[in-house]
Amino acid sequence: MAELVQRLRRAGSSARLSKEAFHKLSAVLTMLILIVVFSIGNGAFLSVNNGLTILLQTAVIGLLGIGMTMVIITGGIDLSVGSVLALSGTVTGMLVKAGVPVVPAMLGGVATGAICGAINGLIVTKMRITPFVATLGMMLIARGTALQLTGAAPISQLGEAFGVLGNGSLFRVVEMQANGFPRVVFPGIPYPVILLAIVAVLASFLLRRRPLGRHIYATGSSEEAARLSGVNTDRTKILAYVMSGGLAGLAGVVLMSRLITAQPNEGVMYELDAIAAAVIGGASLMGGVGNISGTMIGAFIIGILRNGLNMSGVSSFVQQIIIGVVVILAVYVDQLRSRR
Amino acid sequence: MNQTAKDQAPLVELIGIEKRFGGLHAVNGVSVDLMPGEVVGVLGHNGAGKSCLMRMLSGAMLPNAGTIRVNGRPVQIASPQDARDHGIETIYQTLALADHLDAPANLFLGRELKDRFGNLDDKRMMSEAREVLRRLNPNFTNLADPVASLSGGQRQVIAIARAIYFDVRILIMDEPTAALGPSETAMVADLIKTLRAEGIGIFLVSHDMHDVFDLCDRVMVMNKGRNVGTHPIHDVNKDDVLGLIIKGALPDDWTPRHLEVAG
Repeated sequence: MAELVQRLRRAGSSARLSKEAFHKLSAVLTMLILIVVFSIGNGAFLSVNNGLTILLQTAVIGLLGIGMTMVIITGGIDLSVGSVLALSGTVTGMLVKAGVPVVPAMLGGVATGAICGAINGLIVTKMRITPFVATLGMMLIARGTALQLTGAAPISQLGEAFGVLGNGSLFRVVEMQANGFPRVVFPGIPYPVILLAIVAVLASFLLRRRPLGRHIYATGSSEEAARLSGVNTDRTKILAYVMSGGLAGLAGVVLMSRLITAQPNEGVMYELDAIAAAVIGGASLMGGVGNISGTMIGAFIIGILRNGLNMSGVSSFVQQIIIGVVVILAVYVDQLRSRR
Repeated sequence: MNQTAKDQAPLVELIGIEKRFGGLHAVNGVSVDLMPGEVVGVLGHNGAGKSCLMRMLSGAMLPNAGTIRVNGRPVQIASPQDARDHGIETIYQTLALADHLDAPANLFLGRELKDRFGNLDDKRMMSEAREVLRRLNPNFTNLADPVASLSGGQRQVIAIARAIYFDVRILIMDEPTAALGPSETAMVADLIKTLRAEGIGIFLVSHDMHDVFDLCDRVMVMNKGRNVGTHPIHDVNKDDVLGLIIKGALPDDWTPRHLEVAG
C-alpha cells in the first residue's frame, strides 16, 4: 500500500513537471526553429560574432524582463521600465559630468531606478492605485524628468571609462599578425551578457529559494490568502517594484555605457519587449505564475527575431507586427496548456 | 464544558467589540469569552456579524472599539501575524490558500522553515507536511501539486493542518465542514474533540445544528450585530437556538432546559 502510494505520488509529481515543462519546451523549440530558419536564410547568422551580438542586444531586454517577471508574478505590471531606464542613464551621465567617478555614478543610476520602483510600489500599495495606472503615471513622470533635466539633449563626451561596462568583454583574445595588424581570435563575452547571467541566476535563486520569492508567488496567486497567512503583501509588492526599477536602472546604465552617451530619449516602448519576454516565457498576467529561465528564453526569442529579421532586410515596422503575433501565439499556447 | 475548565481563567475575552462600515453597525458591543478546552459555537444568520467578529480576533480586520484580552492581558491584534503570535489560528471559510503553490508551501506560508542561511528548507517542509497531512487524511499523497488541482476535502485538510501544526491555543473555525463529505466531516468532528481534550479553546462558526449540538459546550448567537445570548449547550434546545438566530430572543416563558429536567 505504502509503496503504491509512493508510486502514485511520484507519477503525480512528474505529470506536473511535464505540464510545467511543456511551455518551456515549446519556447525552446521555437527558439531553435528560429535559429535554423535564419541560418538557412543567411550564412552570416550562425557565427560566433553574430551570436555575441544577439547576446549583447538581448542583455538590456533581459534585465528589464527579469524585473518585469517579478512584478508580473505578484499580479502587477510595470509600464515605467523604459522611461526609468532613460532617467537612470541620464542621471548617471549627469553625475559623471558633475565629476563623480564612473562606478559611484553608475550606482547612482541604479539607485535612481530603485527609487522610481519604490514610488511605484508605494502608489500601488498605499494609495491603492492599480499597477497599470500607477506605472503608466511613472512612465510619464520619469520620461518627463529625464527630458527636463537634459533639455532633451544627449549628454556626450562622458569619457572612455564610462563606456567600459557596455563595450568591454571578458576572455577577448587578440593576436598580433606578422603584418603588424591585430587579429581578433575571439571577441570575448561582453560585460552586459555576464551581468545579465549573474542577475538571472540571483533572481532565479531569490524566487525559488528565498522566503521573499515564495511570498511573491503567494501574493500573486491570492493576495488575500497570503495576507491572512501572515505574509506582508504590501512589503512584498513594494520590493518587487523596487527590484524592477533597480534593474531598469541597471539596464539604463548598461545601455548608455554602450552608447557612451546618456540619451533621455532611449528606451521608448522597451517595457513592451520586457512584458513580451516574460509572457513568451510563460508568466501569467493574472499573477502567481512565471520564472526567470522562461523569461530569458522569451528575451532571446525576441532578440533572435529582431536580429534575424534585420539581417534578412525586414523593416522594423514588419518586425513589430511579427513580434506582436508571437506574443499572442505564446499566450495562446499557454492557454492550451492550462486547458489540458 | 468540562469541570476543570470552570476553575481556569478564560483564554480569550472579547469585551464590547464594535465594528462599523459607514452607516452599518456590523458588530455592536459584543462580548464573549472562551475557556481552555471549550468549544463555543458562534451562530447567526449570514450578515449577523459572526464572521466579522471572528475576523477581528484573527487579525484580518481592526475593531472600531472594544478590548481583546488573551490570558487576561489586553492585546492589540493588528494583523494576522499578531494573532498567530498570541496562539490564535484561523481556518477561514474560503480556506485562504494560494492556488498556485503546493501543499507544503501553503502549510508553511508566512512562516517558512529556513536553513541556517535563511533559504527555504523545502525538503523539511515537504517531510513535515507529509506527516501532518497523512495524519489528517491517509489518502493525501499529491503533495507536490498546486493546491488548485486538489479536491475540496484535500484543500480543507491543508487549511486545518496549517492551523494546528503550529502552537495553537485558540482556534477559530469558520464553517469548517461546509465543503466536506460525510467521512471528512466526521474527521473534523473527531479533530475538534481531540483538540478540546488538549485544552485548546475553539470558536466554531457553523450553520449545522447537528455539529453545534454534537461539539459545542456553549453557544453564542448573534443577530443584527449583537450578541443576543450566550448559553451552555444543555440549557437550550434546537428551537431555542433557532429562535435566537431568527428573532434574536428566547420565548418569554423560557427557562434553562436542564433546570426543567432537574426540577
